[in-house]
Amino acid sequence: MSKPAVMIIDDEKVVGDMSKYHLEAAGFEVETFVDPAKALDRFREKSFEVVVTDLKMKGIDGMEVLKTIKSLAPKSQVIMITAFAHLNTAIEALRGEVFDFFPKPFKIKEFVESVRRAAERAQA
Amino acid sequence: MTIKRTLILHGVIIIGLLALMGMFAVHDVGTLTTSSRYMEIQEGLNASFLQMRLYEKNYFLFKDDQAMRDILSIIKAAGKTLDSFSDAMIPAIGEAKYQALRNSLSQYEHEAQLIAESGTRDVVAETTLREFGRRLLELSTRLTREERAKIDKIITKAKRGMLASFLIFLVLAVFLTPLIYRRIFSSMKKVTMLARDISKGRFRIIDGKVPDDEMGTVITAMNSMSQELRLREDELVQSKKLGSLGVLTAGVAHEITNPLNNISMIAQTYQEMYDMLPREKRIEFMDQVLGECERIRAIVVNLLDFAKPKVASFSPGDINEVINRTLGLVQNMLDVSDIEVHLDLDSGIPTVNMDKHQINQVFVNIITNAIQAMKPGQDLTIRTTTTEKRDEVHIVIEDTGKGMSPETLSHIFDPFFSTKGVDGTGLGLSVSYGIVKNHSGTITASSEVDKGTTFEIHLPATPQMEDTDE
Repeated sequence: MSKPAVMIIDDEKVVGDMSKYHLEAAGFEVETFVDPAKALDRFREKSFEVVVTDLKMKGIDGMEVLKTIKSLAPKSQVIMITAFAHLNTAIEALRGEVFDFFPKPFKIKEFVESVRRAAERAQA
Repeated sequence: MTIKRTLILHGVIIIGLLALMGMFAVHDVGTLTTSSRYMEIQEGLNASFLQMRLYEKNYFLFKDDQAMRDILSIIKAAGKTLDSFSDAMIPAIGEAKYQALRNSLSQYEHEAQLIAESGTRDVVAETTLREFGRRLLELSTRLTREERAKIDKIITKAKRGMLASFLIFLVLAVFLTPLIYRRIFSSMKKVTMLARDISKGRFRIIDGKVPDDEMGTVITAMNSMSQELRLREDELVQSKKLGSLGVLTAGVAHEITNPLNNISMIAQTYQEMYDMLPREKRIEFMDQVLGECERIRAIVVNLLDFAKPKVASFSPGDINEVINRTLGLVQNMLDVSDIEVHLDLDSGIPTVNMDKHQINQVFVNIITNAIQAMKPGQDLTIRTTTTEKRDEVHIVIEDTGKGMSPETLSHIFDPFFSTKGVDGTGLGLSVSYGIVKNHSGTITASSEVDKGTTFEIHLPATPQMEDTDE
């Protein structure tokens, strides 16, 4: 069985870079993007089990990414990260069928664990 | 000396002069009246005496007896006139001259009486009577001549007096009066200029020595008012700044969250993967941490710089630079509210003599208002241009928000006017207005409900050096 694929979209490059270390160590195949438009183009070529996206980004925001992913691949799971720790946004995001939600700064171990569960659900 | 005292003294001098002139005039007119009354009587007497001399000739030459009777009746009439008008004559010519005239007439009367009674026409009687007649007429004519000379003298004296008074008044009017008014007007001018400046928001004070008079009191009062206003304005600017700080802090908190999360993720990775990381990677990680720290430092410095109270200091600067700096402060608010900013900055605009912090605050105030008036997805346009003569810089900040009614629009620059209830201080735009006025500029707003609001600021450009190339 091939490695589960994880896509990380955040205009803060460090988020993708650092997540990649941990997720690859945990046995995932990881691709990172700082431009959500490019990420969605890539998603149309290749399906990812898990998509991690920032909520507020220039151009296309996290909610739009979520809608597009769900329409392209309903089984793929989306994890949202954001610097805006508003509860409202979190609830709204969850209602839009987000798998999990991480306000920055977050613990990478918990994050990796969440990705693992998301991948399991996607493959189920 | 106070203005009141100066004016009183001025008045006293003029009234004194007038009273003196009046006194002389009344005296002269009194003398003239007496003289003219006397002259009237005297001229009547002169005519009678001439008549008498004519009758003498008739009596002696033409042997006319009736003539002597006529002479006696003229003498009687003249004597009656002299007696009954002594009150009018004595004040004019004096007792001595009056008595001389009276005696001379009596002498003549006595001689005429003797002749009339005796009926003689001898040479001795004739010579005596004619001599007395001649003396009487001569005295009477002399008195008339003297009185006329006296009248002429009085008139000349009155004329000279009036001319002198007129000259004194002229000197007063030309030299002394303007001296007093110039003093008042120069102070008035200073106060008026200050009042005009204060109304334009330039709270300066009148320099130089304050005069020790009523205008000095006004100047002192105006100066302290201006200083008080300047102090209040600084307080207003500061309170508004602290008001916007609350709004900015939310954005800043988020802005700090990103580098903080980056540091956190790098640290967690460093800790977890330490053994697996090559030396260069570890160094690269720490460099990244330092870079993120620098990001946080810049944000905090920017915020502190904005919050710090400052004395206004003007220097030529680039408006576009200030706009970019403002955007750095409000970028996160814009991101949070999902407002897209369109910049159309003319890179060729002239510099503006300004206090960059104050102008920055004006932009922060207008942009935060715009953000609060807009829904996610709406646009904010910021444009800078210059005039053809390059003597002004125009800044246009245009939002596509909910706009304002004309009624609201007419009050937006009033202090403490707010449409935001407890969330607004109502000072943002009034402070902005004051700041722009202080820069000798103008700020205007136009708005349409549901279409958006446009703020236009005109600031004078730093005066350019004359072109030296011919």
